Order: sequence, then structure tokens, then C-alpha cells
Amino acid sequence: MRAVTQSAVPRDITDDFTTAASKLRTGQLVKDEYFTLFEAVGALEIMDSKMDSGYLGPGETNAQALEDDYDLMRELAPEEVLGIMDELLCHEMAWHMGHPLSQTLFTSLYLDRLLWPVPKTLEDAHFLRGQSQINQEVPEIVHTVLRAYCLALVKSCDFVHARVTTEYYFEEEDFVTQLYNRTLLSQFDSKQFYDLLDRAVRWIDEQTGIVSEKVAKAIKARLLFRREFLWGLEQDIEVIETRFAEQFRNCLSHLDFLSESTVLGREVPESFSWKIQRKLASTVPPRPMVKISFEDALAHLKRLCQDAVDLLEILDYRGPYNLKVLIWTLLSRKPQPSVYIRSLVQSLIVSNRTILGAVPAKQFLYDELEQIVLPSSILLQASADEIEVPSDPRFQIAQHMDVFTKRFSQPFVDTFRSACLNRCRIRRTVCHTLVDWDNLQMEAEDLDEQLRALSNEPPLKLANGDTTYSYPLSSWAYHHKLSQFRLILQLGFELSIYSPEELPGMYWYLSHICSTHLGHIDRIRTFTVATAKRNLTDLAAKKRGAFERHTVLQRSIRLLERLTTQIVAVDAFAISLHALYVLLARHCILPTTSSAQAYSSDRLRYEIRMKPFLQIALPELVPYDEYRREAILEGDSDDTVLERATKAISEARKAWEATLANGAFIHDSDEKHSPALAIEDDWKRDIKDTMRACIGASIAIETVKKALRAQAESRKREGEPQSFQPVHLRVAIPEVGSKARWHDWWVVPQVSPATTTGVSKT
Amino acid sequence: MDENKAVQYLESLIGRVLRVHATDTRIFVGTFKCTDAARNIILANTHEYRFPSPSAVRDAATNADELAAESAATAQNITLSMTSRFIGLVVVPGQHITKIELEETPQQGRMRDTLGS
Repeated sequence: MRAVTQSAVPRDITDDFTTAASKLRTGQLVKDEYFTLFEAVGALEIMDSKMDSGYLGPGETNAQALEDDYDLMRELAPEEVLGIMDELLCHEMAWHMGHPLSQTLFTSLYLDRLLWPVPKTLEDAHFLRGQSQINQEVPEIVHTVLRAYCLALVKSCDFVHARVTTEYYFEEEDFVTQLYNRTLLSQFDSKQFYDLLDRAVRWIDEQTGIVSEKVAKAIKARLLFRREFLWGLEQDIEVIETRFAEQFRNCLSHLDFLSESTVLGREVPESFSWKIQRKLASTVPPRPMVKISFEDALAHLKRLCQDAVDLLEILDYRGPYNLKVLIWTLLSRKPQPSVYIRSLVQSLIVSNRTILGAVPAKQFLYDELEQIVLPSSILLQASADEIEVPSDPRFQIAQHMDVFTKRFSQPFVDTFRSACLNRCRIRRTVCHTLVDWDNLQMEAEDLDEQLRALSNEPPLKLANGDTTYSYPLSSWAYHHKLSQFRLILQLGFELSIYSPEELPGMYWYLSHICSTHLGHIDRIRTFTVATAKRNLTDLAAKKRGAFERHTVLQRSIRLLERLTTQIVAVDAFAISLHALYVLLARHCILPTTSSAQAYSSDRLRYEIRMKPFLQIALPELVPYDEYRREAILEGDSDDTVLERATKAISEARKAWEATLANGAFIHDSDEKHSPALAIEDDWKRDIKDTMRACIGASIAIETVKKALRAQAESRKREGEPQSFQPVHLRVAIPEVGSKARWHDWWVVPQVSPATTTGVSKT
Repeated sequence: MDENKAVQYLESLIGRVLRVHATDTRIFVGTFKCTDAARNIILANTHEYRFPSPSAVRDAATNADELAAESAATAQNITLSMTSRFIGLVVVPGQHITKIELEETPQQGRMRDTLGS
């Protein structure tokens, strides 16, 4: 509502204005000096049917377009109250799924009356508002039960809205935060809502004999569910302190009954109207109401509650490696956790400038460095020593390390947070941050050189006689960058970015990145092992701290081993799929998406795929010609390629088994075995799916092998070794989400003998 | 009125609150930001006002009758506020404008009268 000064008097200036305006030249503007044309573009054009949400088309009368003939004070049967409650829940979940309020909850006439005009007190939010209150009484069931449910529902949305808007999300892609100039009762204390719900529950309990027992039970369950749900959402990031998710567990326990009892309800479609949109502060004309089924709504709700319960598992800090696994696994669940959960996880990761509300960002970064590149290093200990003599090298080391922390902690934490975006945005974001990490690596290299002088790092003699230094910080940055390369490629498979004809090349590139990464980890390991050797002499001499150093070094070596196993597994699988696809492409049985006349070519496709990597200094870009030779395995006979595929796939299976056996997390040796986690199960399932994909690939390789042998024999029989003999195979690329696609990251072709004897489908 | 005068007059209105009536009887009340030769008007922080619908008038009348019956008096007129909503920055195309009003405080009105502009 606009605050109007009491004494404003309007004066008709139509004629003066019109005459004055007509004197202006075409194109001449009279405008506020601070008003820009850029802003003007954003103005809604009145009477334009596409922009003006209040515009009524010809033939639409006020009554048809704006009015709803629904009496909010009418008596509702308990079954109808139940029906409305369930319909509202559907709308609420549709909003969670990313539809705007205007097409979901705000189509409810009941909610509209409660929320507009904005109530000053919660008592003010009732269904009689704006009506002359004589001779009218709201039926008790509506006033006590439906009102309480509606208000608590809006408050639940308020908590969700508040959380999502404080974090990174993509408007209209993930979620629509637009409130159309209304509020979600954010100004009221949540206690009042619980009281209303409690009163409603008591009222229902008193209705024995009046309301059918079944319906009363169903309504009560919804009220109790709402209470728990509201409480859970209110707790929000407080979960860091409370470590309590009973609310969401209780919600889950209600859901089955909600689903059973929804049939008791009776819909009241008249109480929802798309016309309300004309009254909302909106830039778009009304759009149709979004309808989702109650089943879908419950499925979404169930996921949300389950994710909220399992969220507890990420809160116990056990090092950056474990945290990364937990976050990635939780957020890779299918379907992807809802935007509320993803926003909540973002807030939990960095809350109050600490990780999980417990670990300062610097410590977090140091833990990571210690695990990977700097076990028992002076670089990490220096700042703990609190040396205040500027000439002391430890003081200077601490200063350099502070510079490093300032520069790196944010990008490092962001690699965790970016997992909370939607899948497409994760890939996009990583493509962008890759460039930052390239720069960071160079900066780290400078720091490494300065630090080396300060810490008196002994050089390492290589086999060929050269000496080299460890460059720990830049090594670590490079390790991260290579992981991001791998992620970009694998998400590319998940998001179906590559066309079938690109698959041979992309799997080759994945294996290329993996082998680069393996080489890099070897380098890191060489230095850690050298340090460990030096420490052995200290250990023998029982020097102070030697044993602790030994433990830390061994732990780091174990982690490097673990990383190696994982990357070997990816590498071997990629090599095998690469070889398999090369064969399919050679025999023209790999489906292609582009036609022969298409403008696209292998070279252009390669160019576009390498776009994110163009600016990256290290690893160097593979020139197209070299890439082409590698991607088609130029010069290798079919037999060689087949053997390559077979060997690699068996190595991949072994490596994935080893990965599974290593488990999801690293455990400290003194730590007793922690209880099984739900997220750990997800992780195992993911690895097992990958192993299934491996088996699928072995079968495909065998099938190709047989077909090629048959082809060779038929050639021999006909005595024309050079003649063209088609391979009788049919190849299908299973799409993401289909059953035959065992794992999103592994596109295993389905190869089967072609039934037709004619030319194979290409 | 020559061009200079015209521009001067229009500029004096910039930043003032205008009530622009549209052909479909809606009224747009907002701060005047910009206009051109076609009399297109851009308003900022605009509220849209719409006349109450016939059914709302009917309801109000019924209620008023009831009130009147209770208080045993006759009600001749009923008062109903227009429904309004905030719509922000809008441009009202010149051809859809039926009337333009300027909001003034009484003091402003008196001032104008004395200055005789």
C-alpha cells in the first residue's frame, strides 16, 4: 500500500501536458537527469499484453479476469480441509522444485487472504480480513485447523527462502525467490506458529464423534508433520551446534501415512485461482498454475528430509579429504538434493568464517597441505612457533605462509562449495576457476622459491644426476588443477555434452590427463619418501618428535597411494573405452549425430572442447594433429587395439576393486572404526556402479572381438582379404538415466550382433 | 507555448507525482521520470489502482444495507477503496492515456495561484 499524504490534491493537467509534449521534436526526451535510457528499457509497458500483468484482453471483463467467486468463509467438510492441505503441500513442493510462488502457493485464495494486505500481527492474518465482520463467522475447522496449517506452511517457506537467498543459487534455474511484494510472515516469531498448530491438534482431538475418525487422524498427522517440518527448517544451520535431526526423521515417519490417507481428502479446486497473479507485483502476465501430483510432492519431500537427516554426517570434521568425499557424495545423489539442502550445505561448509563452524579456514588449508605435500614441514609449523624476531627465518616463513593462506584459502574452500551448485553450473564454475588455479599455481611457485631459501630445503638428486626441489605449494595447486580437469571431462560425460563421434577422443583425453596426474603424484611422493628416509635416521637416534613425524609422513604416503589407485582406476577404464570406441569408429558402426554435410568437423569439435583449457599454461594443450593421431590410435592394428582394450579393462576392474576395498574415507590409525554412514553407502554404490560399467565394457569388448574374428574368417573364405566386409554389430549409446548406462561418467556402448544380414547401421 | 517553454514546463513536473488514467480506467500513480513527443510517460515507483469490481460494490452495498437496517438509518452512499498494487517502473504509451493529473499539496496549489503561473 502506498503511503498517501493526506492533503494531496490532484489537479488536471491533461491539456497543458499534451500541448507541451506536442511541442517536442521527434526523439527529444524530457527526463530526470539521473534517469538513464538503460533503466527505461526495464519499464513495463502498460496495455501491452505481454508485459502488463493487469492488462485485460478484449472480451475479458473485470469479473472474469480478476474476480474469484469463492467464499472463504464457507463451511468446509473435514475431507475438504484435508484436500486443501494436500493441494497446498503439492504447491509448496513445486515451489521447492523451482516454480515461482505466483504459479504455485500464491494461487491459493486462502493464502492470499492471509498474506495481503501484509498483516501487522499474526492475529491479523485471518480469513475474515477486509470483510465487514458482521453476521459472519469463519467455521471453526477453517479458522482453527486450516488457518494454522496455512500460516505454518508460509512460515516454513520463509525459512527456506531465507536460507536459499543467502547462498549461491541460480534464479529461475534452481529457484525463484520472487515474493511479488508480499512477505512470508518473516516478521513473526515462530513460537506463535507452533502454538497455533498445537491448538489445532487439540481441537481435532476434541472432535471425536463429530469428524470421522480416519479423517481426523489424517488431518492430525498433517498438522504434526507440519510442526516437525517447521521446526526442522527453523533449526537450519543451528544443526552445527545441536547435531540433531530428529525433526526430519519424524517428518519421514509421517510420510507413509500422508500418502495412504490422501485419498480421504476431497479437492476444492475453486479455492485456487491463477487470477490472483494479476494482483501480484509481477512483471509477467498470469501463467497457468503448476500442478504436480501428490506422489511427486511426497517423493521430493522425502528426499529433502532424508538429505537433511544425512547432512549430520558431514558435520564431524575429519580432514579435508574426507569432507570432500562426503560433500561430493551427498550432493551427487540422484535426483540432486533440493536447492534448500544445497544452500544449507554451502552455509555449513563456511559458517562464520570457519569450516563446519569448527575449523578456521587457515587450519583447513594447512590440514590439506599436510596431508598431500607438506607432512611434518617447517613451513606449516613456523606460524605456530610465534617467533617475533624478524631476522629469524621462521618468522619470515610464517609471513610468506600468511600470504599464501590469504590468497589460497578462499579458492580452496570454494572447490568444496561449488559442489553445491546444480550439475551444469558445477561444470561451468570449475571451467572458470581452472584459470584462477593456473594463476595461483604460478604465484605459489614464486612463494616456493622464496620459502626454499628460508627453509634450507635439501635438493633431491634425480637418477640422471640433475637436482630438483619439491615446490610443495605449486605442486599442490597443480594437483588440484588436474583434479579439476578430470572433473570437467567427467561432468561432460554426465551432462551428455559430447556426441558419440567425440567419445574416442574424449576418453583418450581423460586418460591423458590421468597419466599426467599420476606422474605428478609420483613426483610428490618421491619427495615425501625422501623426507621419510631422512627421518628414519632421526627415528633410529630417538630424536624428539621423530616418531610423530614418522606417523604423519606415513599417513601422507598412504593418502598418495590411495589417490594413485583411484586415478589408475579412472585411467585404465578410460584407456579401455578409448580403444573400444576406436574400433567401433574404424568399422563405421559408431552412431554419429552430425550428418556428412555438417559444418562441424573433428578439428572444430576439438577446438570447442578444449576452450576451457586454452588459457591454461600447465598441462600444455595437445595440438590437434597429435590429438588426432592419439585419438584414432593411428598405426595400431585392430588386434593391437583390441588387446589394449582387454588389458586395460581388466586392470580397471582390479583398480576399482582396490578403490572399493580402500573405503570412502581415510581413517586415522588410532581412530576406532566409526559407525557406518548413509553417505558411505552412496559412495559404495557409486563405485559398484562403476564396476558394473567395467563389466559392461568387458562384454562389449568381447562381442567386438568375436565379430571381428568372424569378419576376418569370412574374408579368408572368400579369398579376398582386402574386400570390404561389414562387421555385423549394432551399437547403441545408452543415455544418462537409462538402465543400461551403469554410471553417468562412463559411457559404455551396448554392442550386440546385428540381426539383419545387410549393411550395418551407421 | 514555444519549445523552450514547453520543455521548461515539462521539466518542472519531473520528480512530481502524477496520476495517469489509462483507457481501461486503471489509474497509475507514480513519480514522473520521462516523456517524449508521443506523450509516452515513464513513471517510477508506480501503484496501479483499479475501480472495485461490480461484485465488490454489490457486497459492500448489501453490507451497508444491513448496517443501515441495524442502525435504522438510511444509507445513501457507500465508500469503497480502489484496489491497488505496486508495479514499479512503467511506461504508459501516449495513445492509452485519457487523463493526467498532478498531485499537489494545498500549499503548492496556493503558491501556484499567487505566482499566477
